[in-house]
Amino acid sequence: MSIRVLPGPAQAEPQPAAAPSRSARRKTKRTFGPRFSRATGSTGGSDARARSMGYYFIFPTLALFAIFIAYPLVRSALISLTRWPGFGPSTFVGLANFRAMFSDPVFRTALLNTVVFCAVTTIIQTAIPLGLAALLNARIRYSAVFRVAIFLPALMSLVVSGALWALIYEPEFGILDQFLTTIGLHGLALSWLSNTATVLPAIIVVSLWQSCGFFTLIFYAAMQDVDQSLYEAAALDGATTVQQFRHVTVPMVRTITSVVVTLNLINGLKIFDIIYVMTGGGPNHASESLSTYLYSLAFGGQVAGAIPAIGYATAIGIVILIFAVVVVIGQMFISARRRAF
Amino acid sequence: MADIALRPAQLRWAHRPPARPRLARASVYAVLTIVSACCLFPILWVVLTSLRTADSAFGRSFIPTLNQWTGIGYVHAFTQAGVGGGILNSLIVTGCTICCVLFVAVLGGYGFARFAFPARRALYLLMLSTLMVPVAAVLIPLFLELKTFHLLDSLPGLILIYTATSVPFAVVLMRGFFERTPGELADAARIDGAGEWAVFLRVMVPLVQPAILTLAVFQFLFSWNEFLLAETFLSSANKLTIQPRIYAIVGQYSTNWPLLCAALVIAMLPIVLLYVLIQRRFVAGLTAGALRG
Repeated sequence: MSIRVLPGPAQAEPQPAAAPSRSARRKTKRTFGPRFSRATGSTGGSDARARSMGYYFIFPTLALFAIFIAYPLVRSALISLTRWPGFGPSTFVGLANFRAMFSDPVFRTALLNTVVFCAVTTIIQTAIPLGLAALLNARIRYSAVFRVAIFLPALMSLVVSGALWALIYEPEFGILDQFLTTIGLHGLALSWLSNTATVLPAIIVVSLWQSCGFFTLIFYAAMQDVDQSLYEAAALDGATTVQQFRHVTVPMVRTITSVVVTLNLINGLKIFDIIYVMTGGGPNHASESLSTYLYSLAFGGQVAGAIPAIGYATAIGIVILIFAVVVVIGQMFISARRRAF
Repeated sequence: MADIALRPAQLRWAHRPPARPRLARASVYAVLTIVSACCLFPILWVVLTSLRTADSAFGRSFIPTLNQWTGIGYVHAFTQAGVGGGILNSLIVTGCTICCVLFVAVLGGYGFARFAFPARRALYLLMLSTLMVPVAAVLIPLFLELKTFHLLDSLPGLILIYTATSVPFAVVLMRGFFERTPGELADAARIDGAGEWAVFLRVMVPLVQPAILTLAVFQFLFSWNEFLLAETFLSSANKLTIQPRIYAIVGQYSTNWPLLCAALVIAMLPIVLLYVLIQRRFVAGLTAGALRG
């Protein structure tokens, strides 16, 4: 007995594509055509005309991006290859600005300060908020009160925070020195912001004070999303609170931790406001950062006879950019590798 | 025979109440109290110092005595130090920036989320990469650009720069929210004959209203506290926004602590008020960036 295959639907007459004429489209504005995409719900229409409407929507965004970010970036790279006092002609000098950085002692100090500041603040501004958030996450009362109190400094701008703490650090009259003198530690009542050894730690304390609340809040929100049953399971297995923190909390907030680390690294690299307001880079460049050095080279030419070194300053800006890009890409690689496990 | 067999070592601990949780709990409270005190104390000190006479600010007493209370610091802050003008300029700049950023970012986020035009991914990634560009790297060319457009030392110029630097992050945020909205509502509207703009305005935008509010709060915080760009692009005393104004006051009135502290309190007051009023939205605004970014 033989089997015969009847013609199936594939051999039936194909239906015309559902693309009515333009006039018909005016009346029925919508067809579920072949380009229906399920990726993000339906896309705007099935025809190229509706798809290209996307360009209208993103036009302001792209225009702003092109005029105020892309073009200045390119121009920055070009200016960094010149020597230019800010007016008149500029002379092309190739990579001379970048080579000059290596022999510039102020640049070396600024670079060292920036790297130290960035590294220290990233570590303490990630670890301490993580710990605080864990404490807040424990079943304690008045957690909301503590959260508001810890978060309040984060509302201050860096200028306000810097000015505030500059008053606190004021030698003799600031409350820090007055407090130390009152409890008998007169020897410790230093001039915190005028002492090259203490100025950077003093500024780091201010940065920690100001930013702690923000990161604590982020970690707290992330920890709230952690499933309680994980903690219960760990407790059943005999884990102490500390062990629960290490083996449940920390891994579960890993993504947020890498975001916090990245934010801290970026902010540490471009630190400007706090230093500018509190010390202006002094004493004798002991608290100079790359950004404050750039600013003083380009806009701070109050030194008698000093010509703004725009090309050199822009080159420093490029260095900051390179650092930021390297840091972010490196951070992405590290967290991608860790997630692969 | 015993149903449960215990070793002698276990018996020793059988009647002991767990002492560690109580100690642990107390130490948690202690740590949090100390940290909270450290966070609040400087703010408290600034407020107290702003309310005393200039010569008593250097005194040994932390809380002013009765005859040292005065609001003269605030009066001087407004009459001599120009704090009022700074606040007004900041309000103008912040308000306009919020409007512009919301306009551009809601449009852009919707465009990136809902239209599959060619090069969409490339353009989006390009824009995303600008998030890691530090402002210092483009500060000088921006200055030159504003100079060419004659927008230096002007509030509109600053608003333009603030908008341009805030839009990438805002677009990322809005795109995320738009992607989460269901597409069926838009399809239903289209079947009913709505054009793309009507779909956008009548259907999609109201859906992401909480995101728009969140973005507005976040933008307020950023624009109000921004210093470097304002300091660089504004020079006339009457154009300064509040942060450069505070910096100028610090330099000019460095010995008049009540005035200084009054200015600091005035500068931080709007943000604190906003926080007190819409606390949940505020927190959502801040954490939205990190958690969804």
